[in-house]
This record gives sequence, C-alpha cells and structure tokens, in this order.
Amino acid sequence: MKRSIGVALALLLGAVVVVAVVLGNRNGEGAGGGPVAVRGVIGSEKKPFFDDPLVRAAFAKHGLRVEVDTAGSRQIATEVKLDGYAFAFPSSLPAAEKIRKDRGVATVFSPFYSPMAIATFQPIADLLTGAGLVRDSGRGYQVFDVAKYLDLAAKGTRWDKLPGNTAYPARKRVLLTTTDVRTSNSAAMYLAITSYVANGEDVVNNTGQVTKVARSVAPIFLDQGYSQASSEAPFDDYLVMGSGKTPMVMIYEAQYLSRVFAGDGSIKPGMRLLYPSPTVLSKHTLVPLTADGSKVGQLLTEDPELRNLAARYGFRTADPAAFNGLVAKHGAPAARDLVDVVEPPTYEHLEGLISNIDRLYASGAVPQQESPRGVR
Amino acid sequence: MSRRTARLAAALALVGVTTALAACSTGAGGSGDPVEDGPDVLRVLAGSEVKDLEPMLRQSGVKVRISYTGTLDGAEQVARGDADGSYDAIWFSSNRYLSLIDGAKGRLSTETKIMSSPVLLGLRTAKVKELGWEGKPVSWEQIANAARQGRFTFGMSNPASSNSGFSALVGVAAALSDAGEALSPEQVTAVTPRLKEFFSAQRLTSGSSGWLAEAYARDGGVDGLVNYESVLLGVKGLSLVYPSDGVVTADYPLTLLASATTDKRELYGRLTAWLRTPDTQRRIMTTTHRRPAVPEVRPGPEFGTAPLLELPFPNRRSTADGLITAYLDEARVPSRALFVLDTSGSMQGDRIENLRRALVTLTGADTSASGTFSRFRDRENVIMIPFSGSVGQPRSFTLPEGNPRPVLDEIRAYAQGLRTEGGTAIFEGLRTAYQQAAATANDGRYTSVVLMTDGENTDGISYDDFAAFYRALPEGQRRTRTFVVLFGDSDVEEMRQIATLTGGAVFDARGGSLAAAFKEIRGYQ
Repeated sequence: MKRSIGVALALLLGAVVVVAVVLGNRNGEGAGGGPVAVRGVIGSEKKPFFDDPLVRAAFAKHGLRVEVDTAGSRQIATEVKLDGYAFAFPSSLPAAEKIRKDRGVATVFSPFYSPMAIATFQPIADLLTGAGLVRDSGRGYQVFDVAKYLDLAAKGTRWDKLPGNTAYPARKRVLLTTTDVRTSNSAAMYLAITSYVANGEDVVNNTGQVTKVARSVAPIFLDQGYSQASSEAPFDDYLVMGSGKTPMVMIYEAQYLSRVFAGDGSIKPGMRLLYPSPTVLSKHTLVPLTADGSKVGQLLTEDPELRNLAARYGFRTADPAAFNGLVAKHGAPAARDLVDVVEPPTYEHLEGLISNIDRLYASGAVPQQESPRGVR
Repeated sequence: MSRRTARLAAALALVGVTTALAACSTGAGGSGDPVEDGPDVLRVLAGSEVKDLEPMLRQSGVKVRISYTGTLDGAEQVARGDADGSYDAIWFSSNRYLSLIDGAKGRLSTETKIMSSPVLLGLRTAKVKELGWEGKPVSWEQIANAARQGRFTFGMSNPASSNSGFSALVGVAAALSDAGEALSPEQVTAVTPRLKEFFSAQRLTSGSSGWLAEAYARDGGVDGLVNYESVLLGVKGLSLVYPSDGVVTADYPLTLLASATTDKRELYGRLTAWLRTPDTQRRIMTTTHRRPAVPEVRPGPEFGTAPLLELPFPNRRSTADGLITAYLDEARVPSRALFVLDTSGSMQGDRIENLRRALVTLTGADTSASGTFSRFRDRENVIMIPFSGSVGQPRSFTLPEGNPRPVLDEIRAYAQGLRTEGGTAIFEGLRTAYQQAAATANDGRYTSVVLMTDGENTDGISYDDFAAFYRALPEGQRRTRTFVVLFGDSDVEEMRQIATLTGGAVFDARGGSLAAAFKEIRGYQ
C-alpha cells in the first residue's frame, strides 16, 4: 500500500512540475500593487494553517492574499456553489476527483496528506486495551482494532458495562465520535475504514456490496445522535471539554500533531493518539478553479517555506524531513511507518455508501442489531 | 417571532423582560443605539441568549448589527431561506435543532463555537442539603424521583420557545430512557411517563431563559431553576447540581450564512478570530460565566471539577419534535390560559379582525413548527373573557387529550364571532379573570392571564381598585401573572404597572400583528 502511495505522489508531483513551469512567472500583484485576494473553500481542519500569519506572509511574498471559507468536503463536492472561488480544497482525493470531473479541471494538487487517527485519553485507552480493542503495534504506537470495535458496537455495549470499568462509568454506548458522514470528510474516511472491514477486509467495489455494507455500518453513525458538520468541531470539544463529551474521536493525525508541535499546552498529560487498524490516508487535494487558484496549489506543493509550515500543522508532505524533524523534536506520538493502510473506495462507491446511510437517517429505519461483520 | 412585533424593551425595573422580539436591532455600540446597515456592517440574526455579549463586541473592531428572534422561529426562518440576503450570520445558543430541518444545512457556511454552557439544575442551597445532595453525584433518575415525590419545585423555560428548556428536555429524556444511543421516536413514547413525573415539579415556565432567572430572583416561588450554568451562576443563593448521568451543552456557534457576500465573509472571519483570542475568551468567561471554547484558556474554578458527560442529541427532526409534543401534550403540568380581550367600539374594523386572526392562529392555523407548538395544546383550559363597557360572559374551553381538533374548532368559531361595541372596562375584565382563576385554584393547573386592550380604561373600577383587589388575594392566587399586550392606543404606563404588579411582562404589538405577540406569550403560559 505504502508503495502505491509513493507512486501516486510522484505522479502528482510530476504533474505539478509541468503546471509550475506554465505558471512560473510571478505576476500576482494586484492593480494597486497590493497582493491579489484569492478565495478558496476548504475543509475546516486546514483553516488554522491558512489563518497563520506566517502562512499569509509566505503567500504575500508571491503576491497573494489567500482567504478561505470552510465547509465539509462532501458539501464542497456537491452543494457549495463554487463559482466565486479560486480553488476548492477538500480533504480527500475522492471528493477532489468529483469536483475535478464536474468542473473539467485538468490538474489537481495533493500537497499534503494525513492518516486517520483516534484521539482519546489514557483511562479510556486502558479500558479499551482491557476489552481487547487497543494493543501495542510493536512499532512505537498503539493501534485500535476496527474489527473488534465493530463487534463490540454491534452488541450495543455501553461504557459502564465494560468489565472492571470504574474510570469512565458512563451509561452511553461505546461509540467513536465522528463528524456527520453526510457532510464531512473525516467521517467519510472513517466510513472508508469501517466499510473495508465490514466488507470482509476488502475495498467496496460494486453496488451490491455498497447496499449491504451501508446497512451494516450505519448504526455506528446514526446511534451517535447529532453529529457536527465539520472536523474541527469535535476535536475542539475533545481538547476543551474532555472525555465527558468526547471519550474518543476520529480525527486527522495532523489535527493532533499540530497541537503537539505548537506546544500550546492544549495536549494535556493523559491525552493519547491511536491509529485505527486498518487506517486510510486522507489526501488533501486542491482543485484550482482559476489561474490564481492554481498558483496557490503550486505554491503549497513547491514552496519550501509553505511545505515546512504545513509540517508544523501536522501534515505529511512529499518532503518528510521537516515532519520527521518536528516529531523527533517534540517526542510526538506519530507513527513513523504505518503498515495497515487501505485505499478508500472510489468516489462513486463512497458516495453510494453515504447516500445509503443518508436515506437511513431520513427514514429512521436503523438496523439496530445487525452485526456489522455479518456481511461477507 | 414576527419581524414586525417589537417588544417594548421592558426596562420595567421590576418586570424586567430582557428578551427582545425580532427586528429589535441594536448595535454593538451598546445601549440601544442601532448600528446603521452598511457594506462594512456584519448583520447577525441571534437568539436573545447572546444579548449579554453585545456590549463586548464593540471592542472587536467590526461593526455588528444584531437582530434578536426566538430559537425555533429563527431556525425556521434560516431553513426557509428568509434570512438569506437580510443577514450575513446567525448566532444562537445551538445549531442542533436548526440542522435537523430539511434544507437548513445548505444555508450555513462556517460555524465557529464561541463559548459553552451546560443546562443544569440549580436549587436553593438549603434544599440541596435537605435532599442530601450536597457534594454528592446526583443522577437525573434521583432528581426525577425527588420531583415525583414533591420534594422540590423548579422553573424551566418552554422547550418550544427557548433552547435551554429544549436542551433540558432532551437531556432528561435521554437520561431517564436508559438508552445509550440517540433517542428514537419509540423511546420518546416509552419515556414520556417518566418525563411526566419529573415535570410534575415544574411550577414556573417562561419563553426565555433570561426572564426565567429574573422572575425567580424577584419572586422566588420555586426551589430552583433548570437553566444554563452561566445563568444559574449569576443567581444568588443557588447551588448547582451537575447530573452525573449527563447534560446537554449549548455551544453558541457564530455561523456564517452561505449567502453572505465576500466582504461580509471577511468581517465574519475577523469577528470570530477576535472572539476566540485568549483575551476575549477570558473576558467572556469572567463577565458572563460561559466556559471558554479554546483550549488555551483554562476554565475558572466556578465551573467545578465534576466531569460533564454529554448526552447524545437526537439526529432526526421527528424525534426532536416528538419530544416537544410529548412535553406539551402529556408531560408538563397542564395550563389554564385566561384571555381578557378588549371588544370595545374602538376595536372595530381592522383591530378586531387582527384579534380574531391572532386567536385563530392559536387554534392551529399556523402550521409552521413554532406555530404548531404555540397553539392551544391537549389538556389545556382556555378561558375567554371579552369586555367592553362591562364584562361579557366568560367562555371556558378544555382541550381533551388525544383529539383536540373539535375544541380547537369551537375556539376558532368563538374568535370569529367576536363583536365590538361600547366602552373599555379593562380592570373589571382583569378582576373577572382573577376571580375565574380563584374559582378553580386547586386543580393544579399552571394559570396565567393575557390582557389585550387598545385603549384607556373608561368604565368600571380603576387601576388602583384592581391593585387593592389583587393585593388582598391569597398568596397562591397572586402567583397568577398577567402578560399585557400593547395594541392601538394602550395606556402604556398603566399596562406596565399591571405587569409589574403581577410579575408578568409587556409585549408590544402596536407596530404589527397581535398574532406574533400572542405566539410569543404562549411560551410563558
């Protein structure tokens, strides 16, 4: 899997170089001599990066002032009116592919990626270890066994029913907190992971599987109740409100690491980062809609300063040195070599899974007691 | 709430209604001077819960023009697209109900949480000790049991009018249902008998969380309140009970509308960035008792150390609406609503037609969610007392449980048959209402009076006579509050006095429709 990602990145970078040559001349100055305003719509988890004065300064050096609105990646792909924007920057390749096709864009940029991870707390991790869901990978990080989790969730297990649980005797169900799968990419990536497991350890690749698998994994989304629209919100809740609201939350690794790298004290002792097994990589992919949008994509991919800044926000880039340096410097709990990485379904099948779950939200017909692993 | 009705900013020292109806636009410049709309002004449609933040916004460097509306009404406006173009952003205590309405999500852009506050129970410290709850974890189960046994009473805002009441209802239902996941409609049905036990202890209701706290501080009358932690921390003598099985927390997301223009988006970005700076967050925390929304600011000691479990919130509108319906039609203490209605000669023409329409609205003619929830509900007793130069025959309607339609039709026919003539015996009419209430005082209903008049008192007893009559009533009967509606050429001063005397509030329908004022008052019945 890792090798195929490396190849994909190399191909993308190759494409980028061509674009870079075409757009290479710096003519971004506005009429009044100030920077040109460029507005994009992005997944919320990248907003802190774009708001950073250093990032803004780096763009300004190239004559650009980048402004962003945030929206869920699926909203960006389907609902958001893109006409006023210079670029769309959803958080995954499938959503970007859809926009690329819809808008007839030739070249897209994948300047950085981040594996899906789980933010939790030591007492919760201990409980999950006791229940057989969490184990040491032997590679310096802990993994969360998705297959075992789906079994546990299918039984409707509650926290207070876990054996020996005095640390977190909550009456609510053991459920990973996610965003709303109908709007947000991080939940869609979680769906990519869980659908792979529920499909008998295989990427969902036909419509028959889509229907079956969607029904079997739907409860882990619907039973959560109200889910927030975009990825920044539940992670904020995790940081600010702690385990009472969010005992464990599906995030991009970058969200957690950026806080560790910033050393702002928001990652408190007792907070833990786990990697689901299997996991998927979320490839943040910029679809340019104007020439200025292309320039933003090009700079994010090529400019060493912006690449280093991206690493500070926890993103992995084509140049691993900056990221690895920060991990070493902060003793961050980042996995150096994730082995159990799977591919998300194509846009069409991922969208099929989401639409099926969407219909279950609407109808209220949630299959409560079906085993998510029952589909083979 | 209707755009056209503007509540008299009831600065009534004692009546003290602080919520405002829609179109009460005031600026971040503070004390009432409205910010003129302009290209550099961020127009925000907000819930009254964030009104206390308005003065602080002046320091943000962004011009903000805020218009206030009810939570549910605001949600419906936004979902229908009525806010598009008129506003750039919305700011309610929660977007959760709004997000459940079909089509609403597409109208929202960036959401930025500004602060948070859980909905809790606050009780007089002596009562907490008496119940043996001091310093101990207490569950909703225990709270509901104590309520059923009549060991305490409380006030809570109406779940159909105010987010704090709705959050509490969701929390209590989730906790009592013993469900580990989000409630389903079947679970709502199953938990309704338990809800009824809990709400049997509710003795005070309100259309807004702010008014509720003021009414409690002024009149007492109950042992405590269900309200935002931030409100409860501001009320003297209350001890906060943090239910160990969970709460529902308001997170105040300042939310950009998808329809906002580029310039306004930039203003929104600047305002939210400023609101989330550690300095601003600390000021919000110390001045309003809301919990900070950024991890850089540690919550102060006033919030205690108990970990707060968040209960799952329904993810379907049918469940949310089913809960509100179960509360109104089954769980709450049934109400008695007395309407003292001016049918004097001056009401002839448009005015009486406006009144007929307003009453018909409450019989279910308004099919929006807010309209449906504000109509006369199952088990309710509605008494109409028309007056002109003298008091007409009171007419009582009681809506049965399960099939209210025939009685709603009777009320509609009654309203359509209202005729005008003669003088204006306001206080005779009001006295009759209190006498009617007294005649049935012991049947456990939650009783309130609406007084609607378009002019000055011309016949019968005077205000002073009424005040003397009122003060001589037994204490229990003096608890009946009068909510007055200003209309036409009402005597504003005298109307305020009535509201002050009885602990009610003033609603101003002079600029618009009576229906909107009646609809808002329904939150207080």
